[in-house]
Amino acid sequence: MRGLLRNNFYAMYANAKVFSVIMVGTGIFVVAMDNEIHSLIIGYMVSAIVGFSLNSVASVRNESASKWIKHKLAAPVRRADIVKSLHLSQLIWLLAGAAFAGCVVVFSVLLHGYPFDKTTDIFMIFVVGISVSLFMGATFFPLFFLGGEERSDVFLMISLACGIGMLMGLSTVINIIFPGYMTPVQIIGSGSAILACGGLAFVLSYLFVRKRF
Amino acid sequence: MDYILEVHQVSKSFPRSDFSLDNLSFSLPYGAIMGFVGENGAGKTTTIDCILNTIAKDSGEVRLFGREMSDADTDIREKIGVVYDGDNFPGFWTARQLAKVMEGFYVQWDNVLFHKYLEDFALPVNQKIKHYSKGMTMKLAIAAALSHHPELLVLDEATSGLDPVMRDEMLDILLDFVQEENHSILLSSHITSDLEKVADYITFIHNGKLMMSVSKNDLAYRYAILRCRESQFLTMEPTDMLAYRKRDYQIDVLVKDGKEAGQKYKDVVVDHASVDEMMLLLVKGELV
Repeated sequence: MRGLLRNNFYAMYANAKVFSVIMVGTGIFVVAMDNEIHSLIIGYMVSAIVGFSLNSVASVRNESASKWIKHKLAAPVRRADIVKSLHLSQLIWLLAGAAFAGCVVVFSVLLHGYPFDKTTDIFMIFVVGISVSLFMGATFFPLFFLGGEERSDVFLMISLACGIGMLMGLSTVINIIFPGYMTPVQIIGSGSAILACGGLAFVLSYLFVRKRF
Repeated sequence: MDYILEVHQVSKSFPRSDFSLDNLSFSLPYGAIMGFVGENGAGKTTTIDCILNTIAKDSGEVRLFGREMSDADTDIREKIGVVYDGDNFPGFWTARQLAKVMEGFYVQWDNVLFHKYLEDFALPVNQKIKHYSKGMTMKLAIAAALSHHPELLVLDEATSGLDPVMRDEMLDILLDFVQEENHSILLSSHITSDLEKVADYITFIHNGKLMMSVSKNDLAYRYAILRCRESQFLTMEPTDMLAYRKRDYQIDVLVKDGKEAGQKYKDVVVDHASVDEMMLLLVKGELV
C-alpha cells in the first residue's frame, strides 16, 4: 500500500504543486479582504476542497500514457489494493483541501470576525465541498475502470457534474422535507445526511470497482 | 526437469477481434533463457499478459514456481521482474521517484543495487524519464526489474528499437542474470539474432497457436532446411517434412532431423536452420 500511495502521490505531484501555490496566493488574498463579501470565502472554500479532489482523481489518467498500469498489475500488489489506494489518495487530498479551506476561514475570522449570519453556514460550506468531492470520486472511478482511459476526460466532466447534481438533488429533497425555516439542529442533521450519502456512495463505488477490476 | 514456468493449454479470445490464443502450451526450465518468437500480432504480448495475470485467460493453466498464481499470490510476483517495450514508467517521474515507489512494492527491493545499476548505465537520477533516450529508458527498466532480486525475468520486446551496441549490452546483462541456476528468462522478441545469441530454447507462435518449442541444441544440430527442386520435393515423404515454402527456383523444406533427411534424400542441399528461416517457413510456408 505504501508503494501505491507514493505512486498516486507522484502522479499528482506536479499538479498539486501548482494548485497549492495558487491556493496559497488566493488564500492570502481572501484573508486580506474584508469577509463581509461572502462569495469570496465561499468560493475559496469550495474551490480548495473540490479542486484538490479533482486533481487527485484526474491524476489517475497520467499513468495511462505508459505501460505502468501493467507493471503495477505484475508487481506484488493486489488489485484490490490498487483500487483502495486510489480511493484513499482522493480522501487524503480531500482532507488537504479541507485543511486549506479551514486555515483561510480561521485566519479570516481572526482578522475580520465571523462573516456569516448563522453558525451553521461554515459547516454547510464544508458539506458542499466534501460531498461534491465524494460523489465525484464515486462516479469517476467506476467509469474510468469500466469505460477505459481513452474516455477519461469526458468521465471527469461527467463525474464533476454528477457530484454537483447529487448535491443539488439532495438539497432539493431536504428543502421539500423542511419547507420553511430550518433550526440549527435540522441544518446540521441535513448536512450530516448529505455527507453520509456522499460517504456511502464513495464506499459503494470502492466495493464495486474492487469487484470488477 | 523442474520448470519455473509452465503454460498449459492456455486460451484467450477477445470479443471484438478475430485473434485468439489457442491452447498454448510450453515450459521454461530453471536456469534457462527461452526466446519467444512470433511475428507482430502473433500473440506474444497476450501470452505474457496471461502468464503475469494482467489479463484473465479464458481457460488453461499457468504455473509459476510450481504454483498457479492468483491475484493474492504477491509472493510469486515478488520473484518476477518484468520489462516491456517502450515506456515502462510514467515519463514525469525521475529514477529516484521510481525507486521510492518500487521500494514500497517489493519487500526485497535493493536500493543500493538499483543505484549501482543507474551508475553503471550512466542514468541521471534526478532527470525526468521522459527526457531519457529509448536506450536509457530500457536500461532503467532492466535496472528496476533486476533490483528486487527476481528469479524469473519476463521481457516483452525489450530489445526492439535499440541499436546493436545497446542490444548487445542488454544481452550480456541477461546472460549474467542466468548464471544463477535458479534464474530464468522468458524473452519475447522478433529480433531473432538476439535469441540465437542467448536463448537455450525457442518457442514459435503464429496467429495465437504454438508452432513449436525446441531447444537451441536441437535447432542447431537436428533441425535443418532442405533446398530442393520440385522433382526432388515430389519424391519426399510428407512424414519427413514439418513445413515447406515454394520459392522462385527451389522449395525450402523444414525437417526435424537434417542428418537423417540428408542420408535419405542424397541429392538435396541440407542447410542449418536459422531461427529467422524457421520462422519464415512456419509463418509463410505450408505446414505438413
